[in-house]
Amino acid sequence: MKARHAVLLTAAAALVALPSGLTDFWIFIATEVVTFALYAVSFNVLFGYGGMLSFGHAAFLGVGGYTAALLVKRSGLPPALAFACVPFAAMFVSAAVALVIGFFSVRRTGIYFSMLTFAFQMLLYTIALKATPLTGGDDGLTGLKPPGLLARPVAYYYFALVITSASLYVLYRVVSSPFGYTLRALRANALRVQYLGIDVQAHRLAAFGLSGAFAGLAGAIFALSNGNVFPGWLNWTASATPVVMTVLGGTANFLGPALGAAVYVVLEVLVSGRTEYWPLVMGLIIMVIVLLLPGGLTGLWTTAIGRRGAGAGAAPSPTREAR
Amino acid sequence: MSNPILRVESLVKRFGGLQALGGVDLAVDAGEFRAIIGPNGAGKSTFFNTLTGLLRPDSGRIAFDGRDVTGESPHRLARRGVARTFQITSIFPDLSVLENVQVALLARARRSWSLWPRARALGTQRARELLALVGLAANAVKPAGTLAHGDQKRLELAIALAGEPRLLLLDEPTAGMAAQERLEAIRLVHRIARELGLSCVFTEHDMAVVFAVATRITVMHQGRVLAEGTPAEVRARPEVQRVYLGGKA
Repeated sequence: MKARHAVLLTAAAALVALPSGLTDFWIFIATEVVTFALYAVSFNVLFGYGGMLSFGHAAFLGVGGYTAALLVKRSGLPPALAFACVPFAAMFVSAAVALVIGFFSVRRTGIYFSMLTFAFQMLLYTIALKATPLTGGDDGLTGLKPPGLLARPVAYYYFALVITSASLYVLYRVVSSPFGYTLRALRANALRVQYLGIDVQAHRLAAFGLSGAFAGLAGAIFALSNGNVFPGWLNWTASATPVVMTVLGGTANFLGPALGAAVYVVLEVLVSGRTEYWPLVMGLIIMVIVLLLPGGLTGLWTTAIGRRGAGAGAAPSPTREAR
Repeated sequence: MSNPILRVESLVKRFGGLQALGGVDLAVDAGEFRAIIGPNGAGKSTFFNTLTGLLRPDSGRIAFDGRDVTGESPHRLARRGVARTFQITSIFPDLSVLENVQVALLARARRSWSLWPRARALGTQRARELLALVGLAANAVKPAGTLAHGDQKRLELAIALAGEPRLLLLDEPTAGMAAQERLEAIRLVHRIARELGLSCVFTEHDMAVVFAVATRITVMHQGRVLAEGTPAEVRARPEVQRVYLGGKA
């Protein structure tokens, strides 16, 4: 416990001090790390805790991003007001979309659940691509900017850091709550959970909505940092990103996917700056992790300090999720 | 027999052309410890799964405590006070032993929708009491999946008891155990059921186990009830000896 707190405090201090040593470009990358950390953790709440492997998590990243873009660009509200509405609107709209998708998807488990989420996401991708008057079609929505001082990369980084930290705290409380315990039980044995008097599908749906809401928030924050949103955000490759980040960081630790996001984003920048074979490098890294470190990077840490994580976290290893 | 806790009338279940249950009648009084026996394929498991809402009957009626519960989902039945265990032990292997029981207690307290409080300390005292009741007090922090088979069965019992049921349905509670272990296991259930005033229905293959604790026995054969009565009555029935006891008893 003590060691964990020390690591957490050090990481927090480093994140706060980070911009002072970085160029604007790297501050922009740091913002991406922070927002994708939230995206990946929101995915793992569903996957690692709830045992639901979504192949369509990008649906919510995209919906959040487009919601933010439309509010800032098209709502006609004063920029500051529009911006203030972004987090709430993005979460609300993403949660609503997630509840609709979830309503159909959580009725199935395993690969059927995964394929349903995938199908819905591709549906939204097509809409983003074809509903040009609303979404800008292939060109996306560009020229997005946070208002006033927040337009500065440093200020926006801190803004994103605060949003992500607050969101991660909320999600942490949720996974540690009776609902979170129920979710973990459900992942392990849904039939048994039914016989405890629990409506399994309703709990799955709630987790799906919650996860979607926070993925949407991440999408909105990232859209305004990036300055634009494209249909590609809703494409299936964007749904693979949080899966990779989660496997990289480890599913069993709440912050594992956040660490995975940091490693993934930074590596992508470093490697793709030197060679065009970034996917090859990433592929090799994933092979190494899956074969040698099934608990991900945080699994390494857990082993190192000799803690028995059996009861404490989410799934013990990503390979056990194929239910 | 005026007010049974469980009453089943003419329960029929078909799988395609196969009639697994051909009109089963059963009445279990409060406080009974009822054994359901029968050779493999007699329909015991189908009967159990239909009783507990896992399968929908094609016709017939199930009443729990005077209320019609035919076709109700497992979670609704559980809320009414029906708990079950499975032939293949059904626990949460990657949660700790204590957490297994905590989850059940939280569900019983209708707290599964509670999103903010920390669950770690909730219900631990009651959970430990239940673990002590089934003899697992020393194993509370172990991952449940690492327990020995017999201990997993005990844990499943503790999980079922956490729901404060009035009717406990045990599908082969001694499956996979050694002979001596079986008697201990069923006596444990028997003692607890008596202490808590539970009614209990269980299926069982081992006749020593059945005759050790059952107050009444229902014999199933080919999807129907062949005979029913006290252990002595059932033992004496020639048709039971013929199809099931093989003259041994």
